[in-house]
Parts: sequence; structure tokens; C-alpha cells
Amino acid sequence: MLRLSDIHFRYPKASKPAIAGVSFELARGEILGLLGPNGAGKTTLISHLAGISPLQQGSISVNGEPLAQVRNKNPACIALAPQEYAFYPSLSVRENLQCFGSITTTKNLSARITRALVFAQLEQFNQQQAQTLSGGLKRRLNLAIATLSDPEYILLDEPTVGVDPQSRAFLLEAVQQLAASGVGVIYTSHYMEEVEALANRVVIIDQGKLLRQGSLDDLLAQGQAVLTFAQIGLNSEVVQRVLGTYGELLASTSMQLTQQLLLNSQCTPSQALVALEQAGAQITHAEFGRFNLEQLFMQLTQRSLRD
Amino acid sequence: MLLALVRKELLVLSRDIHGLAALFVLPVIFIIVMSMALKDVYSPHVDNLAWSVIDKDKSAISSTLIERWEKGNGTPMGLPLDWQRALREGQLKYVIQIEADTGNALAHPEKPDHPVIVLLTEPGLDMGVFSSLRAQIQATVTKLRVEILLSHLPADAQLDSDALNTHYWVNTERASAGSRPTSVQHNVPAWLVFGMFFVVTTIAGLFVEERQYGALNRLLSLGASPLMLLVAKILPFMLINCLQAMLMLGVGIYIIPLLGGDALSLAGINYLALLAMLLSISIAAISLALLIATILRSQAQVSAIGPMLNILMAAIGGIMVPTFVMPPAMQQLAHFSPMNWALEGLLDVLLRGGDLASISIEAAHLLLLAVIAIVLAYLMFRIRKS
Repeated sequence: MLRLSDIHFRYPKASKPAIAGVSFELARGEILGLLGPNGAGKTTLISHLAGISPLQQGSISVNGEPLAQVRNKNPACIALAPQEYAFYPSLSVRENLQCFGSITTTKNLSARITRALVFAQLEQFNQQQAQTLSGGLKRRLNLAIATLSDPEYILLDEPTVGVDPQSRAFLLEAVQQLAASGVGVIYTSHYMEEVEALANRVVIIDQGKLLRQGSLDDLLAQGQAVLTFAQIGLNSEVVQRVLGTYGELLASTSMQLTQQLLLNSQCTPSQALVALEQAGAQITHAEFGRFNLEQLFMQLTQRSLRD
Repeated sequence: MLLALVRKELLVLSRDIHGLAALFVLPVIFIIVMSMALKDVYSPHVDNLAWSVIDKDKSAISSTLIERWEKGNGTPMGLPLDWQRALREGQLKYVIQIEADTGNALAHPEKPDHPVIVLLTEPGLDMGVFSSLRAQIQATVTKLRVEILLSHLPADAQLDSDALNTHYWVNTERASAGSRPTSVQHNVPAWLVFGMFFVVTTIAGLFVEERQYGALNRLLSLGASPLMLLVAKILPFMLINCLQAMLMLGVGIYIIPLLGGDALSLAGINYLALLAMLLSISIAAISLALLIATILRSQAQVSAIGPMLNILMAAIGGIMVPTFVMPPAMQQLAHFSPMNWALEGLLDVLLRGGDLASISIEAAHLLLLAVIAIVLAYLMFRIRKS
């Protein structure tokens, strides 16, 4: 079990902490979606986990043993696939794998390289210079390098940025394969549908603070009920006044055909719709459900743009 | 649209402080340094060189000759006991030896059967200065001889046409442990040092690329420490520097003669001292490169600042012009250039027959620089990492 306890971190000269009291854990074979807007502190957490940035406060342990000690024994126990193409562009695919694969140990290097090539389906490109690969292949190489040292946990920092749908589908399958083989995966992405499709558990942070964590189902179940509707006959001010007692009407633009009402816990969707009709509205469309991950994320992290 | 594009370019440029510094500040520094360093290169100062005299003649004429030379070239140093060694090691820049019977020979209308004045210079003396000294002493001797002949000889005396040709009178040579030094012997060490320090740009470029691509973070995550990452760059680039040295020495020895030039000679040199000097230069150059690499942030900065820094160090350090033809202030500044320590050390070995003891100070300077640069690079790396 990988456990982060009460992590705090402040960059030199920064007015606010980058991380303020974040704790969560991850079991092997589990995929944890680490979500947060830009500047939320995801990359800082990843840096701590990857051993790049030292901890200021708090602790990280693997199976109860401090991460530093675990790293001393096995530096590659937590592998990193950074956002950037973290390899040498002038080297071939195989040379890159050889280069990173031999940093910690040269034991079984050839077998590990072959396995990584097969895993990322890069066999036919293994002699190709990395800088000449397509965006999707580069992402696959980035992932393949991270798997070279048989890590217990793997940190995937936005692994699908800039790839086509086919490559994305491949990468998502690959991540599922990794988890199925017993690797714990921390997956950061701004694509919520990816996290919804992959993650067993989700951690949402913002401005260095932990906002919500739990299984995806639990989190979505905690989300407020939302009524999405379209009506004709009432202007927005009247709609706002009518529905004010039933919940919070989310802001919408004049271009949107539908509006969303976050229902108060004691109100039902039919009560709100009846109230609208009684006020003179003609309901043309209505649907009811819980927030999806993106809506929950937006609700928790607010809609204001970030730095 | 053009206006908008131009405005955009100016805006982008204005945000690149380091790039602008490279474009404006460095050329200004470059112009100042080069102008000062090259100020006297076309009329080299030979009047402040350390010199001495051996007067075996001790005649009135030899005294006059010395007196006249002193007027243009300053007071001579007392002749050290082991003056040959002082000359070989460059402590004395030149020695004028006036042979016995010079006074009589100069007063005699016929040409002498052997040179009467010997100008001995240190092996590392710049070719231009060497030629200037030779011309100056030939002129001084000629003038003195003409004056003597005009005052002593009858008006109808017949003079041999060669009698005034001072090529017969003055012999010039460089003191050397090995073979006679040539321009190749002078140029190869200078440009070897220049070439070895060019790893600054290469290392800094690779390091910045490694950082930008995230490969550095990946290596750190695999347990490589900042110090290990820095030290790992030293060995491969030392190999590069060794190959550079072999190539450049090889060109001097084998290629230059094929093109009609003098061959570089390594005869009689201390190979251990040469190796020690080359390794010291290499370690210093690489360490400096690592420091620069941890400071610079982009490829644009590396490609602008790296070569410029190299040229400045070369200009200050006596690679482009010998330090002793520089103004005194520049000569002082030269002592702070790593390229100067490197060049002087190599000249000690290749021209002055220096051994390990001879190069110890230059090598120590270079190694101290390496230690300081590595420590600073390490600290810089850690600051950037966190």
C-alpha cells in the first residue's frame, strides 16, 4: 500500500503552500485518478512520489516503510511517466529503453526491453529515432520506459495529451493492463471521461488542498441531483425566482438551450417542473440524474479560471 | 498584418532578457575586451619585456650598444646564475649576448666570419615580438657600425657590399629544451585550449535539452542524484577532450607538414606533464560547462552565451593575442582567465621543457576552478530541482 500522510509543501518565496495537508492511499492493482485544475498541486505531489522533490512535512510510505528507505533498496519502485516526452530524441526507441533500463540495474535488460516493446506495441519502431515518431508513438515510448523496471507503482502524468483517439484508446487499455498485472497507478489527466473509464478511486485537489476522495461510485453518489431542462415562455429572471426555493440554478449562457438546477435534498424534480409550468412555462425537455465526474469536479473546484 | 507580426516579434524579444543580454551586453563587452587586448598587436610593446645582457666584449663599443638598447627597452635584469633555465621557463624573455671582440669586428670594414651578437629569446615568445626584437637589434647594430665606420675610415676606403648586411652580425635563436620552436609549436597549444573549452556549449546544450524534455526528471526519479548526474557528464567529455587533443596534436605533427608548414614537434617533452595538463584543462572546462548548464534555461541562451563566453575567455586569456602585448590592466585580467592558465601550462610543457613541477601552479588553478564550479553547479541544480 502506498500511503501519503498529511503532505505539506511550500515553494521558496511562494505566498501560499503548493500542498496543504493532503493524505490518500493507493493499493497495488488499483488505478487512482488524481484530479485538480492547473496549479492545484498535482505535479508537486507527483514530484514527491517520484523522489524528485524532497518532503517538507508529512510522510510517504510503501507497505509501512518510509519511501526514502524503499527507494534506497529499489529506486525504481515508483516509476514516472512525466507529461513531457521524457526521453532522448536523437536516440532510437531501443537505445532509449536501453539507456533508462540500465540506470538501476542491467539484470535481464534485454528481456525487459523486449517486454516493454511488446507492451507498448513498439517492436516495429524499435530502431526508429525517437524524434521521428508520431505523437502517439512518443506517448507509447514514454509509457514503455516507465514500465522497464517492473515498478510496484507508476505515476502517469497526463499520458494522453496530444494523441489521436486510436492511440488514446490503446494507452487507456495499456493502463488497465498494468493495473491488472498488479501495478498501482496514479493517473492525472484533465480528460474526465478517461478518469471515469479507468479509475477505481479518485482524489480531487485544488490549491494544494484535498477536496474529495473516494471510489468513483461513492463520489458520484455524493454529488447533488441535477435537473436539466429546456423551457419556453419564461425569461431567465422569472425562472430564477420560481426555482430559487427548489435549488441552485447554474449559470448558463444565452447560447445554451438547456439549464441546470442543482436540487435541494428535500426537493424532487417533479416539484420544480410543476412550479415552472404553473408560472407559465412550457417544458420542452427534461432529464434528471446525478453529476458526472466533470460536473462534480467543476462544482468542487468552482468555475473560475485558474492561473 | 505585417505591423502586427512585427509588434509580436518585438514583444517576444522583449520578454527574452537573457537573449537580449546576449545580443547587446556581450558584444559590448566583447568589443571592449578585444579592443583592449588587441590594442598593441600591430605594434607590439617590446619595451617592457624582462631582458638581460651578457657582455663578453666589455669594450666601449659594446657599452654603447647596451646603452642604446636600454634607451628603447628599459633597464636589464641582473643575469641570473642559471640564466639558461630562466630563459627556457620564460622568466627572462630574452638575453643579448655580445661576443668577445665585437668592438673590433664592428670597427673593421670587412664582414665578420661569425655573428658577434646573439639574441636568445624564451621559447614561448610570440612570433611577432620575436621578429620585432630581431629587426630592432639588427637596426641598432647597423646604425652603430655605420657611425663607427664613418668616423674611422678614410673617405676613399672600399667597403665590401656585404659589410653592412647585419644578417652576418646578429644571430637570433629561441632557447628550447627540444627542437627549435615554430609557429605551429605556438599555435597548436592555443587553439587546443580554445577547442577543449568549446565543450561548454555542447554540454550546456545537452543539459538544457535533457531538462526541457523531462529526461532529467525521469533520471532523478530512477534514483540518480544531482551530483551523480553532473559527475556522469565529466567522464565522456574528458574522452572527447582527449580525442580533441590527439586530433589537434596529430594535425600539427602530420597534416601541417603536408601543407608546407613546419611540423609540430613533441621531441623531448615530458609526456606525463602533458597528460596532467590536458586532464586538468579538460576537468576545468567540463566543470565550467556544467555550471553554465545549470544556470542557462533555454537552447537559445546556450547558443548565444556559450560561444560568446568562450571567445571572451580566449581574448582575455591570451589565446588570440599573447598577454604580454596587452596593456598592463589586461595583462592583470588575463591571470583570471582559465584559458590563460591552460595555455601557459601547455606552453610550459611543449615549448619550455616543463615537467610536473613546472605546471603545478597552472594545473592547481584549473583544478580549483573545477571544484568550485562543480560545487556551484550542484547547488544550482538542487535549487532548480526544488
